[in-house]
Amino acid sequence: MQGVVGAFHEIDTTVAAIEDLKKKRIGEVTVYSPTIRHELEHAIDAPQSVVRRFTLVGGLLGVSFGYWVAIWSSTYWPLVVGGKAIASWIPYTIIGFEVMVLVGALSTVAGMFINSRIPRLSTTSGYDARFSGGYFGIFIACDAAKASQAEELLRQHGAVEVRREA
Amino acid sequence: MASVAHPVREGIRGPNIASADVQLPAVRDYEQVDRDIIATLGFTKKWFMGLSVAVLAMLIGASAWIYQIYWGLGQAGYEPPVMWGNFIITFVFWVGIGHAGTLISAILFLFRAGFRTSIYRAAEAMTVFAVMTAGLFPIIHIGRPWKFFWLLPYPNWRLLFPNFKSPLVWDVFAISTYLTISTTFLYIGLIPDIAVLRDKETNPMRKRILAILSLGWRNSDREWRHFAKAYLFLAAFSTPLVLSVHSVVSFDFAMALTPGWHASIFPPYFVAGAIFSGFAMVWTIAIPMRKWFKLEHYITLNHLDATAKVVLFTSMVVGCAYLIEFFIAWYSGVRAEQEFFWNRVFGQWWWAAWIMLLCNMSLPMSLWSQKLRRNPTWLFVLSLFINLGMWFERFVIVVPSLSHEFEPWQWGSYAPSWVDMAFLVGSFGWFFMWFLLFVKQLPVMAIAELKEIVAPRVKHGHGGGHH
Repeated sequence: MQGVVGAFHEIDTTVAAIEDLKKKRIGEVTVYSPTIRHELEHAIDAPQSVVRRFTLVGGLLGVSFGYWVAIWSSTYWPLVVGGKAIASWIPYTIIGFEVMVLVGALSTVAGMFINSRIPRLSTTSGYDARFSGGYFGIFIACDAAKASQAEELLRQHGAVEVRREA
Repeated sequence: MASVAHPVREGIRGPNIASADVQLPAVRDYEQVDRDIIATLGFTKKWFMGLSVAVLAMLIGASAWIYQIYWGLGQAGYEPPVMWGNFIITFVFWVGIGHAGTLISAILFLFRAGFRTSIYRAAEAMTVFAVMTAGLFPIIHIGRPWKFFWLLPYPNWRLLFPNFKSPLVWDVFAISTYLTISTTFLYIGLIPDIAVLRDKETNPMRKRILAILSLGWRNSDREWRHFAKAYLFLAAFSTPLVLSVHSVVSFDFAMALTPGWHASIFPPYFVAGAIFSGFAMVWTIAIPMRKWFKLEHYITLNHLDATAKVVLFTSMVVGCAYLIEFFIAWYSGVRAEQEFFWNRVFGQWWWAAWIMLLCNMSLPMSLWSQKLRRNPTWLFVLSLFINLGMWFERFVIVVPSLSHEFEPWQWGSYAPSWVDMAFLVGSFGWFFMWFLLFVKQLPVMAIAELKEIVAPRVKHGHGGGHH
């Protein structure tokens, strides 16, 4: 992807650059950080993650399947055990609960993968190995006409290195 | 993740106070975190020696399994009426060990207890390997391990399904779900840290493997946003799961009418015992690890102090459960229960019961002393006693009950055979083999989360790093 990437050593300068970029609307901004920082989250002000919807749907499917498999197989082979009803709700709640957790958690992971767009084969576009270490990074997706403006803004805010991505 | 660990605040607390959000004053910046944790991955002579001992112990267990498969389950030392012996005792022991890992990584995450940050990765790995170990024992116990899949509800030409009203089937669902979710939780937390290793790696082959394992993670704001939410929900799922798993294990006993087992106190009693024993195993692992890997400034005395308070609390819960069992036996007026509990402490198994009471109730009371809570040597020694005591707790639950049921003509005895002992040794070998392989391949501490509690560099104002 075409654009400009800047590496920052300090978090406050990164935050200032993000806020300025948002005001000037040069291009879509991606921020890299070695860890989660609230300062960056607030500056980016991204919408809430939709992973929770995957969790809800997965959990509901799981609990339904857990109860269904226990009830269906009991009625399919109707053998009275320990004087209990053929389909006993209380012990089947354990199966329902466990399958809810299993499917709900795996759906959460699927939701995270889909929304984060991972697994990804390449990390090269706009990424620098220092962004997992001690540096913060900002990538601005823009065409050549706006690249100079983006470079200038990043330098102005104290980026230690600025480069263009083809 | 982001909402758990607090950045270093102005005025670090005195070094003698352990609180929920213990800080890391000796860690200066992000680069130091990377350096220190990556340094733990270098192979050493001590590590090779440890791994050799673990593999040897594992092979002893594997040999015993081959021997038992060839000669039959009778080699296990079972003697009617005691048909649950070492295998079920050791199964419950290892499931219990696993619980502290999930408590530290999930429950303490939801409770915003920052002291988990330095220890949760090792504890999570411990959980996965402990559950892997535990899961072997019911399979060993069935005698014909190749038939274990009969416990699963899969479509088959016989049109037969497992009995969903049986606690043993609940166990299958609970343990397999627990293993899957614990492994997923461990791996998801590892992804950003594997990306750190990938970015620092110089060997092209190793870099490629790490690139695949990190799934192309780039530390972007989009990835962190969804990661944080997924991690929160995984923790929210793991919390009731961990409480349910040992409750379900306790149902294996409590659903039976056997004296000493048929008690509604079992689920909370088992869960508290599991957390208690799991924290002891965390000490057994973390205390040598902090010394050998020179991580004293990450797992500080404040961290050990905070965990010691959890151990003290759970010891009192477990002790209270022991005493309530005696009270209920007396209060119930059921003669079989009363005689059973008298027999438990003064009968043929008195020595096992007193080992349990000494290790789990008495010795942990030393943790009322702050000096001992902050003494790593004592905590390590105590952890060994607690591990021993908790194995004997399961022995006291399983063997005396089965050997002393309602009818005197049913009363019997039990002595573990050499095969049982070999399996026990093998289980420790299997567990430590995986753990030792883990600590040299992947970060034993969560690099990304440690960075959350280290102040980032700032140009204008205060920060933990260089200005």
